Amino acid sequence: MKNFLRRLKRTNSLSFYSLWLLVVLYALAILADFISPYPYDLQCREYALCPPTVPHISVPGRKLCGPVVYGIVVVNPAFKEYAFDSSRRYKIRFLVKGPERKIFGLLKTDRYLFGVEEPGKIFLFGTDLHGRDVFSRVLYGARISLSIGIIGVTISFVLGLLVGGISGYFGGRTDTILMRTVEIIMMFPFFYLMLALRAAFPPNLSSIQIYFLIVIILSLIGWASLARIIRGMVLSLKEEEYVLAARSLGISSFRIITRHILPNTLSYTVTALTLSIPGYILGESALSLLGLGIQEPYPSWGNMLSVTVGNLRILTMAPWMLIPGFFIFLTVLAFNFFGDGVRNVTDPKNW
Amino acid sequence: MDKALEIKRLEVSFIPAGKKRVKILRGVNLAIGKQESLALVGESGSGKTITARSVMRILPRSMYLESGEVLIDGTDVRKLTENDLMDMRGRLAGMIFQEPSSYLNPVFTAGSQIEEAIKDSEFNLGSSPLRGEDMVGVKARISRTERKKLVLKMLSEVGLKENVYYQYPHQLSGGMQQRVMIAMALINSPELLIADEPTTALDVTTAYGIIELLKKMMTRYGLSILFITHDISLAANFAQKIAVMYAGKIVETGPARDVFSNPLHPYTERLISCLPERYKTGERIKVIEGHVPDFNALPKGCAFHPRCPYKKEICLYKEPGEITKGTTTVMCFKYG
Ligand SMILES: Nc1ncnc2c1ncn2[C@@H]1O[C@H](COP(=O)(O)OP(=O)(O)OP(=O)(O)O)[C@@H](O)[C@H]1O
Ligand code: SF4
Ligand SMILES: [Mg+2]
Repeated sequence: MKNFLRRLKRTNSLSFYSLWLLVVLYALAILADFISPYPYDLQCREYALCPPTVPHISVPGRKLCGPVVYGIVVVNPAFKEYAFDSSRRYKIRFLVKGPERKIFGLLKTDRYLFGVEEPGKIFLFGTDLHGRDVFSRVLYGARISLSIGIIGVTISFVLGLLVGGISGYFGGRTDTILMRTVEIIMMFPFFYLMLALRAAFPPNLSSIQIYFLIVIILSLIGWASLARIIRGMVLSLKEEEYVLAARSLGISSFRIITRHILPNTLSYTVTALTLSIPGYILGESALSLLGLGIQEPYPSWGNMLSVTVGNLRILTMAPWMLIPGFFIFLTVLAFNFFGDGVRNVTDPKNW
Repeated sequence: MDKALEIKRLEVSFIPAGKKRVKILRGVNLAIGKQESLALVGESGSGKTITARSVMRILPRSMYLESGEVLIDGTDVRKLTENDLMDMRGRLAGMIFQEPSSYLNPVFTAGSQIEEAIKDSEFNLGSSPLRGEDMVGVKARISRTERKKLVLKMLSEVGLKENVYYQYPHQLSGGMQQRVMIAMALINSPELLIADEPTTALDVTTAYGIIELLKKMMTRYGLSILFITHDISLAANFAQKIAVMYAGKIVETGPARDVFSNPLHPYTERLISCLPERYKTGERIKVIEGHVPDFNALPKGCAFHPRCPYKKEICLYKEPGEITKGTTTVMCFKYG
């Protein structure tokens, strides 16, 4: 693992830093309960569509002070116009006490990373239509968007290796049946298949049910292409001479598949998997965007974006509502760069 | 006393998809005594590798053992179940190959590949210099540290440094790769080693090192070796016995010295007279005229007759049988 990181840094530093970016993003998602100043569903209706409150460390007159935010003044509640009053300052405090939350449902905490003195408000990324803190919602939404890729890819990976391995190794009728199934799945365009599968289920499911439904739909689509490629690789790898050598050493078929054949597909599969994670993230976003995914009030990056779709007024008045899109962009890009690096590094011939 | 390896009337067919079956081995007879080495010599395509793979029961998918017996230490490998076969491979017989680089798995270190080959319990093999008396018949799983110790010991046996344990195949030279193969093949101390042209892909000095290593391992482990080569002088140099193969049959077999100094079969004679060290400088390089026959259209009678200067009437329609002359057995009508 240490070797892996060192090689990654040497051969592809962009990919190395992408990995760090991903680590940070995942840490934010896991620690959302600790970092976010407000619960994801707390509404401050009087401050709907409020722009980001920028923290200041110096105040007019060039006097340095601790980090503060200015008080928000509602200029016109009908048109959601706000101003900041620099004479009303509220100190930002770290490790503030608040109502008890559980970090990831496990660790109890009654202190959050930061907060601001009452009655000040801190909306780092502004607020949405209902006056909910976008920053907090981005953190909680990351849990959905970032985990869906990992879980989906894991299911795809297992299914793909299993079906591809069996198909390629045993050949014959097994191969024919499995591969025709794969082709049928691959025949449909990803997006419409996803919609069709989602439509087959009732729309009013609980959030957790929808979450798993989406994961399963996405990985049911995703495994097919992997299985097909693995099968092709197994087909040629089983003729490799080291497989013959392994047989001459009395190693069992099972171990030959798992220890000698599949590891040789790893450099491909790991890369393919890293590169397919963005597909899952975007797939979830697309479903949520259409209102078929994660339901309000629970946030995902996709459903946070969905309110901005086709709403020009929001886009011009409250561009901060596009921040979840920026996070999707960042994550997809990071996974792509990381996948590129993994491809270079997992091929032993490049060491 | 049982032979280390005995092959009797072995026939192997190749059935290409949708085509007629072709006999590749046409009744091979071969015997190797305990701690004896036999060199199997012949041109490319004569069936040497197929003979070796029949012994290990690792034939290509489209090839079948038709008939005959293959006895390793008295056990007929044709009668073994799939499980017993797996046990046999590695424990009774090991095999090394021509291109060590492609017979090693590129994604694992040399150490882990040798380790992978270790079998958990001893068969019935008696002691081995590697494991010592106390390991005999132990049915328990060998622990990780024990395995690693075993591999490191084996690496030094085959003349490699400890750091090879952590190296990947492509980081090793051809000679080192072949040594790793030898370590893998011998890690379970089999009594029979099949070496299929182990030095063909190597340069002369490296090849010499491998030959010396095989000789050393033979005495150290009480190995019997089936040594496959197309170089009859190397065969005479290395082995106690020579068997000459032509078109899927053993046409001459006997003590190496006798076969080499007094070849009986016309094919053996030509093989020896074609050796490079026999020409004077400036002389044209000799080759055996004609070419290796196609297994699809073998000549009738003696398969060698289109290339044979001594052919008689009878050679054209009748296959010669085995004739013993002194210490050598030969298949040729020249001798009756
Ligand atoms: N995997 C295979 N599939 C089909 N035919 C094969 C296969 N391997 C070998 N043959 C055929 O079997 C015959 C004997 O081949 P074999 O490999 O035993 O020759 P060889 O004596 O080992 O030659 P070489 O010195 O080139 O290794 C050849 O005619 C060859 O074409
Ligand atoms: S049997 Fe006849 S053709 Fe064959 S090698 Fe002997 S003499 Fe030549
Ligand atoms: Mg060969």
